[in-house]
Amino acid sequence: MSAPSLAPFILKRPWLQKFVSPLAKWYVNAAGYRQLGLRADDLIPEENNTVQLALKRLPPKEAYDRVFRLRRAFQLSVAHQLLPKAEWTKPEEDTPYLTEAIQTVEAEMKEREDLEAMVITKRQRIAKVAH
Amino acid sequence: MFPRSTVCRGAQSAVRRSAVHPAQRRGLAAPASGSFQYQSGDAKGVKFASRDFAGPTTTLALVSKAGTRYQPLPGLTEGLAAFAFRNTERRSTLRIVRESELLGAEVRAYHTRENLVLEAKFLRDDLPYYVELLGEVASQSKFDQYVYKEEVLPLIIAAHKRFLANPAEMAVNSAHSLAFHRGLGNPTASASSVPYTQYLNAEAIEYFSKIAYAKSNFAVVANGAEHGEFSQWVNQFFDGVPAAPIEQTGVGAEQTKYFGGEERIAHAGGNAVVLAFPGSSSFTGKSYKPEVAVLGSLLGGQSNVKWSPGFSILGNTKASPSTYVKTTSAIYSDAGLLYTSIVGSAQNVAKSAYAVVDAIKKVAAGEISKEQFAKAKAAAKFKELENGQDTKAGIELTGSGLVNNNQAYQIDEVAKAIDGVSEEAVKKAAASLLENKATVSSVGDLFVLPFADELGLKV
Repeated sequence: MSAPSLAPFILKRPWLQKFVSPLAKWYVNAAGYRQLGLRADDLIPEENNTVQLALKRLPPKEAYDRVFRLRRAFQLSVAHQLLPKAEWTKPEEDTPYLTEAIQTVEAEMKEREDLEAMVITKRQRIAKVAH
Repeated sequence: MFPRSTVCRGAQSAVRRSAVHPAQRRGLAAPASGSFQYQSGDAKGVKFASRDFAGPTTTLALVSKAGTRYQPLPGLTEGLAAFAFRNTERRSTLRIVRESELLGAEVRAYHTRENLVLEAKFLRDDLPYYVELLGEVASQSKFDQYVYKEEVLPLIIAAHKRFLANPAEMAVNSAHSLAFHRGLGNPTASASSVPYTQYLNAEAIEYFSKIAYAKSNFAVVANGAEHGEFSQWVNQFFDGVPAAPIEQTGVGAEQTKYFGGEERIAHAGGNAVVLAFPGSSSFTGKSYKPEVAVLGSLLGGQSNVKWSPGFSILGNTKASPSTYVKTTSAIYSDAGLLYTSIVGSAQNVAKSAYAVVDAIKKVAAGEISKEQFAKAKAAAKFKELENGQDTKAGIELTGSGLVNNNQAYQIDEVAKAIDGVSEEAVKKAAASLLENKATVSSVGDLFVLPFADELGLKV
């Protein structure tokens, strides 16, 4: 599920981005998932219907790679090891491959709920003609 | 009623327009203005036809020359039909469905051998909304792979299963493929799982949509719409569709040839035999033969009157009243197939098949009373005129006529053509059936069902 994020706000303002990005780089590195070969989207909790549906919609290659990364990371974690530095996830590889699909699913659900809650009013003219 | 962003401009302006001129509105009691005749026109390359039936509802259809005959890969037509009215660039599937529910309308998409039809039935006032919707489906549909997997593929698989469970449909499809081989012979549903395991995916369907929804390949037909108003909306809402197909595939474009032959398929779920012969093309096509329609209704098999076998020859000579026998004159743009399908228990189907051949021989020999002939002519004419009144058949025929021959299907003229059929012409048509190669396909208990040569037909 997509968490609330300040990122779009910051990205819109270059001066702010310049200020924040070193901090972000430090944070991502300290989080340590790249050292296990993971991507940020691999960390999204998947135990809910939204993400499950989004996962089903991944292209087969993406889905396979994701499982591979997760299993490798799990193995590393069990062995208390990190990947050799050359195999760490590079910043340009760390793409939000799942977020987009999750947002689509969320939008669909929201639209459904909005339509359920819709209040119907007759068009003025028809209302007048009919009664 | 809807959130502002999605309310269509057209619908809004339509509401405003008619609010200003309330006198222009057609009410329930307005006198019928039109006849069966369609008025046709051309709006920036989009062909359209309409007729102003009196009544509070309108049937609007986009008829595209994209039936199974014209599909470059198997299953594409089915896929495209199932993709209709799904997510577009502007609206989601759910919204389209909900909005249509609110307007009290009905939308559906189906395909035949030659055409893919997107149809909407709605209250007269909602014309602009639906013209816009059809324009949107034709030009802005999104073909997502996940929609294909989640919503489209299950429909195709269900159609495949339905097809396999229905011997009658299998026999009709087998007869078409024997008679016409490729093109018109393509099955209307997946006959095996090969189409959707090997050929179909969202991308292929999107490619086909760029051919099917090109201006030169479809026509928009309305029943119960005022022509001037209709042409205005068509002019406005079909700007997004491509003017020419993305690629000239040439699939299905060649003149259909009749081949004929015999096929036998074992099936445990029922028994069906189809005896087919070369028939007549549609009125707008080149090989139009009105006597085939009369011959079809003379052979018949089904009664128009309750509690009676009817006047038709097969209605009286079929093996048992529970055996389903029906003679159809299937007309296509450049060819036709006159076929009798027989469904029932194996013994009865076999007996009725012999009766069909006897009946044709009888007609060819002229052993038909004047009265029977007159009845057949009247029945054929009635069916034709009813085609005109029944919007579903009329719309498809009109759209297909416009796309293929630039000519709407004029029912009055067809009825006139049937009036002019002489007894001699029908006799000659029946004789030619026996001389030429026939098409026989049997599905079911092959131990009992007869071979073509046993029936006395040439294959």
